[in-house]
Amino acid sequence: MKRLGLLAVVGCALLSACATARPVPYNWGGYSSSLYSFKKDPTDEKLQAHKQVLIQIIQGSAEKSLKVPPGVCAEYGYILIREGNTAEGMKYLDLEAQTFPESKAFVERVKTQASQPTAEKEKTP
Amino acid sequence: MKKRLIPAMTVCTLAVLSACAPNMVAKKDAFPLMYQEKPISILVLPPINETTAADAKEYYSTTLAQPLSYMGYYVFPIEVVTDMMKHEGAYDTETLINVPPQKFKEYFGADAVLFVKITKWDTAYYVIGGHVTVGLDCLLKSTTTGAELWKYDGVLQVSTGGGVGGGGLIGLAVQIAVTAIKTATADYIPVAQQANAMVISTIPTGRYHPKHGQDQEVQIMRKQQK
Repeated sequence: MKRLGLLAVVGCALLSACATARPVPYNWGGYSSSLYSFKKDPTDEKLQAHKQVLIQIIQGSAEKSLKVPPGVCAEYGYILIREGNTAEGMKYLDLEAQTFPESKAFVERVKTQASQPTAEKEKTP
Repeated sequence: MKKRLIPAMTVCTLAVLSACAPNMVAKKDAFPLMYQEKPISILVLPPINETTAADAKEYYSTTLAQPLSYMGYYVFPIEVVTDMMKHEGAYDTETLINVPPQKFKEYFGADAVLFVKITKWDTAYYVIGGHVTVGLDCLLKSTTTGAELWKYDGVLQVSTGGGVGGGGLIGLAVQIAVTAIKTATADYIPVAQQANAMVISTIPTGRYHPKHGQDQEVQIMRKQQK
């Protein structure tokens, strides 16, 4: 009986392996790895490395005439704003809203929050 | 010897496939509300960790946007969302589970909100290699009606040493990644990715998928209903 369960799992994995071929051709680059590294070890060095991956995804997608994956421009813009580079950050937030109109309300929310003076420091150590 | 192996493998694969057959269900029957509501954007909340692996949550949140985007959805940047909610005083998804889903529409403009629970994250090490057993529970709620749109769970065992349990193309990719990354912790990303692939492939396709609205008849494994 246990065997059967295992077979089912393997079968399911086989089936899903077929189903998850990438039909939407996004280029996510090394997103998961660099973000994971930063979360594991939240230093400025790791943040810069993740930023580098984000901008590579944005530029690399443009070069290949691909759509930038959802959230990437917004994340990049958000980090820039947090670092004090508000004008540049706003540009990337706008780019997110242009690429994905359904993100408009969210982008507006980010902008409002970003322009509010919060108790938090602009730069995270 | 090799020649014998191939038919044996074929039989094995067939057995595997037919083992699934009675448990299959069409996507439209499993998740009818997805086809009615057609959500475009998904807000992923930080995963809820039910395991003793303290870091499982951190690993997980970095791997969820990718597979959901491949299925055709707009996915809000999880890190930004988490950070913004912290500003509002919401640090854990545990505290958000009782928030009316409509709030996420109001606040972020999301069509649906995804709750992910990590139910298993067990590692085992042998002399040569080891494996991780991952359990994942996903629940997508409409931010319009609050109804459950999609719900799926799965348990997967992925070997982190030599071979990979899942097989197929993803298995191969995982194997390459596992070989490439030497540190034990980094192995978790391909493990998480494989578990995601299994569960998230069952969601009906979203607006940016070329087969959007055409996958009603696609068969998936039926989950036991409570």
